[in-house]
Amino acid sequence: MADAFDEFLESSLAPAERLPDRRFVTAVQARIIFEDQLVRERRRLLAGLAKQLAALAAVAAAVWVIGSAAPVAQVRAEFPAAGTLLLLLAFGFIVAMFSRSSRPALAPVVAS
Amino acid sequence: MTAQNDEDLALSRRVAGGDNAAFAMLVEKYERPLRSFLARTVAPDIADDIAQDAFLKAWRAAAQYDGRARYSTWLTRIAWRCRIDRMRKEREGEPSEEGSCAPAALEIDDMLARLSEGERAALVLCEGHGWTHAEAAELLALPLGTLKSTVARAKAKCRTMWEGAGHG
Repeated sequence: MADAFDEFLESSLAPAERLPDRRFVTAVQARIIFEDQLVRERRRLLAGLAKQLAALAAVAAAVWVIGSAAPVAQVRAEFPAAGTLLLLLAFGFIVAMFSRSSRPALAPVVAS
Repeated sequence: MTAQNDEDLALSRRVAGGDNAAFAMLVEKYERPLRSFLARTVAPDIADDIAQDAFLKAWRAAAQYDGRARYSTWLTRIAWRCRIDRMRKEREGEPSEEGSCAPAALEIDDMLARLSEGERAALVLCEGHGWTHAEAAELLALPLGTLKSTVARAKAKCRTMWEGAGHG
């Protein structure tokens, strides 16, 4: 049988009766929206990275194919600096292309 | 499975499908007992942080809720793990003496502060939140018999303090 102490304990430890805390609910929702954005941004970055790696591989393959073509190979043999210049140009092109495609896209979420 | 579990399972499936409004309903429904439990078992200034972390993890893991346990039990398990992770990162001091201004609340906070962490959690869940001993034992990773004796010991300590304060 419950005595005064049991009643005191139960009433003191039970969650207080109150309406839902809208501020808390809003704060959780804001964190979820932010988390959602982070996930989408991460996916976007990974997709971008995959594209850039593919582009890099394609450019490297093209440079190799062009570089090993007979007329170019002949020029390279006569002017060894031309091969290095070609590689530098290709590298500059890749850097310019990658720096243009990386843009910050995540905006902070502010809970209202 | 109870009707309540069915309802929560349906909401949880909607959450897993990307319905954030359904999750807001679950947060509204369960923030009160979860925050009340955490406020009794960790320092008040971090209780709400842990509750938010727990809800965030529950949102991520919505597809894993299968309706076998009560949603509140499942959520509290997540919160308890968040609490353990948090405690690992920063060594927790004794719970703050500050709390509600109601005399009964001050008294119970004082009693809980003198219990061990496990005793506090077991007592709050079983005596205040209506959890079964089996549910609390699972949450606290204790054998059922140990949990029962933990609750009994915590209750006996509180009774001694209560009677010592002139209530007996």
